[in-house]
Amino acid sequence: MANDIPSTDFITNRRKVMASLGALGASALAGCGGSSGGGENNSGGSSSQSSGSESSGGTLEVLHGWTGGDGSNAIEALKQEFKNTHPEVKTNIKAVGGSANVSLNATVTRRLANNNPMSSFANWPGKNLQRYEGALMDLEEDVWDANGLKDKIFDPAVEKCKFNGIMPTVPIGSHRLNNLFYNVHVFEEAGVNAEDLTDPSSLVDALEKIQKNTDAVGMAQAMKAPFTNLQLFTEILMGQAGVKSYMNFINGNPNRSDIADALETEKTILENYINNDSSSINYTTANSKVMSGKAGCIHEGNWMYGMYRADESFKYKEDWDWIPFPGTEGLYVFHLDSFIATANNPSPDTTKTWEKFVGSKKAQVTFNNPKGSVPPRNDIDPEKLTPFLKMTYKDLLSADQLPPTTAHGLAVSPKTLGDLKSAFGNDFMGPFHVDKTADALVSAVSS
Amino acid sequence: MVTQNPTDHAGRTDERPFSERLQHFVNGTFVRSLPFWGIPFLLMGSAVYAGIGWNVLISLTDYEGLASASYSQLDFEMYARAFGSSTFWTAAQNTFVLLVAFTVICLVLGLALAVLLDRNIRYSESVQTIYVLPMALSFVITAQLWLWMYNPDSGLVNLAIKTLGLSSIDFLGNPKFALAAVIFALVWQFSGYAMVVYLAGLRSIPTSQFEAGKIDGASTARIYLRIIIPQLRASSVSAAVVLMVFALKAFTFLYSLTGVFRPPNGTDILATLMVRRAFKYTEWAYGAAIATMLLLLALGVIAPYLYYQHKHGSL
Repeated sequence: MANDIPSTDFITNRRKVMASLGALGASALAGCGGSSGGGENNSGGSSSQSSGSESSGGTLEVLHGWTGGDGSNAIEALKQEFKNTHPEVKTNIKAVGGSANVSLNATVTRRLANNNPMSSFANWPGKNLQRYEGALMDLEEDVWDANGLKDKIFDPAVEKCKFNGIMPTVPIGSHRLNNLFYNVHVFEEAGVNAEDLTDPSSLVDALEKIQKNTDAVGMAQAMKAPFTNLQLFTEILMGQAGVKSYMNFINGNPNRSDIADALETEKTILENYINNDSSSINYTTANSKVMSGKAGCIHEGNWMYGMYRADESFKYKEDWDWIPFPGTEGLYVFHLDSFIATANNPSPDTTKTWEKFVGSKKAQVTFNNPKGSVPPRNDIDPEKLTPFLKMTYKDLLSADQLPPTTAHGLAVSPKTLGDLKSAFGNDFMGPFHVDKTADALVSAVSS
Repeated sequence: MVTQNPTDHAGRTDERPFSERLQHFVNGTFVRSLPFWGIPFLLMGSAVYAGIGWNVLISLTDYEGLASASYSQLDFEMYARAFGSSTFWTAAQNTFVLLVAFTVICLVLGLALAVLLDRNIRYSESVQTIYVLPMALSFVITAQLWLWMYNPDSGLVNLAIKTLGLSSIDFLGNPKFALAAVIFALVWQFSGYAMVVYLAGLRSIPTSQFEAGKIDGASTARIYLRIIIPQLRASSVSAAVVLMVFALKAFTFLYSLTGVFRPPNGTDILATLMVRRAFKYTEWAYGAAIATMLLLLALGVIAPYLYYQHKHGSL
């Protein structure tokens, strides 16, 4: 008996523990079930949401895709400058993933779909904003008008920040797309004069000369992903058929024969004058071929400049130089990076503080010099920029026309862009099918 | 007891007061064991099965973009769209080829290696380690490795081809070769696994059977073909299931090859198509429909195994 009593006590105690454990488990599960819309981030999101409404500020959370090289230096500098200007704001500015913003876009999309928005994220404005329809904050009154940004930011950039009657984003920097970077020594050895390259067909002749007279291949091209071929196509189209044909193309009135001609030229280049390993390399590796003299030239956005600058032994004008892509003289093919603000985010006030900062002179100079892009403001002292950027900045402000880039989201909707990339991905990565690709391109922009 | 006196059970419950019945129920093994299996069951259920259920539900909607899903009109439109899309069929076909070719080659190679090792060749332990090691590497690393191996200019594979006097082949860039190149890389990574499973099977076969075979005058090849390999069926089935599941997970490898949602031309499988439609085009419902079909495919792969285990009383 004496033994029995403590043992039943023990059993009831144990049962109580079990019961409460069970209840705990059940309530935890109920909690999980209740937040089914949120997924893994929801609990964190809702708690920061409540703290946000209490203190009206909240932590500023900014996502971007600049994980390495000049991009990462630029965002670090910008972060530091923001902390100096606004020491009172708690910040969480972080990089997501790697190449071509794939991980960043996936993360942003997932979190917005789960109603767990960050304060702001880096992305392209223009038609690209369609991707985030319904999740955008209007900054027109509190940021654009409050700081008079509409007068200070270059008009075409202002236009690209308008979407569905609101202005959800502030631009930070612009890259130029219509470039041909070349290795001065290779061009000299081959007897190619860069100034003679006035249209795509003269480029093809030059590439032939390079391969005949030197050990280098004519052009470096990366084809790990299809966007580089799309990019090259748009430049050839502009260079060959003119900017009007390009604008008609992106606006949904494509001229099929112009498109097929451009593809024909591109096919000639890709079949004969590029590196063999294009399908397994990305554009930084391709660019290093130009730097090492294994290739004569490369077409890319001027983010390539960051790589040249990082190598002190590879000097502007002496070792590398630049011309607008043959046939696109006077054009500045327009690219923009911006910071997009999300609706219903937990820190609306700090988001506006951040966006005002992004639009400021100080932020834009701080960011763009290391990034290798130019500020979209019209009142920057060019002397504050590096020599190459100074030239680019002047070109931006004085360009005859600024056709928006297709491969980088400004010109067409995300769906159309996806279809255009697929057109190249399916039939223009080697073997090159001109007719099939032309049909796919026409139907992508027309639908 | 119950059959002898059928009214007893009913009669007793009527007589007993509710509290006693409740007490009896609460003290029963079902309730008392509940905390032990109930919590994991609920956790597992909500995490996995509710997830599957929700995925299926989404696949019946038209959910896309960032607006919330509407569940008012559920239909099989997304499945119809998939069946009508050539991209889907190409991906399904590639998935199937990858699944079958990869598994079969791994099994054959693994068996051959295991038999060799079982013959107690010299340095067999080092050989074993060398073959199993690639499996320990992540797909991210092996993808980069094979990108370099297949590089038409400087890759080891192409250097070997060039020394044979042939011109280099752009394995990953040419849609004709890309899937085979991917399968080869995956076989390199996982044939060691099949080898280990077979080796364990071989080691469990008593040596007396070899001796008996020898005494009867059978050659070594004949002993293996007629006596040993037929006994390795269990090893084959379990290795095949694991390998097939790895084949379905080849997404990571393909994604790491390009770094974007689009794998090299000719290697698009259902998993890459699913992620691309969902996260690049934000077509959640369509992605969910592909996910559901991928799940059915995986179940189709596992089902014969489960049936086999069940038939042999192991399940």
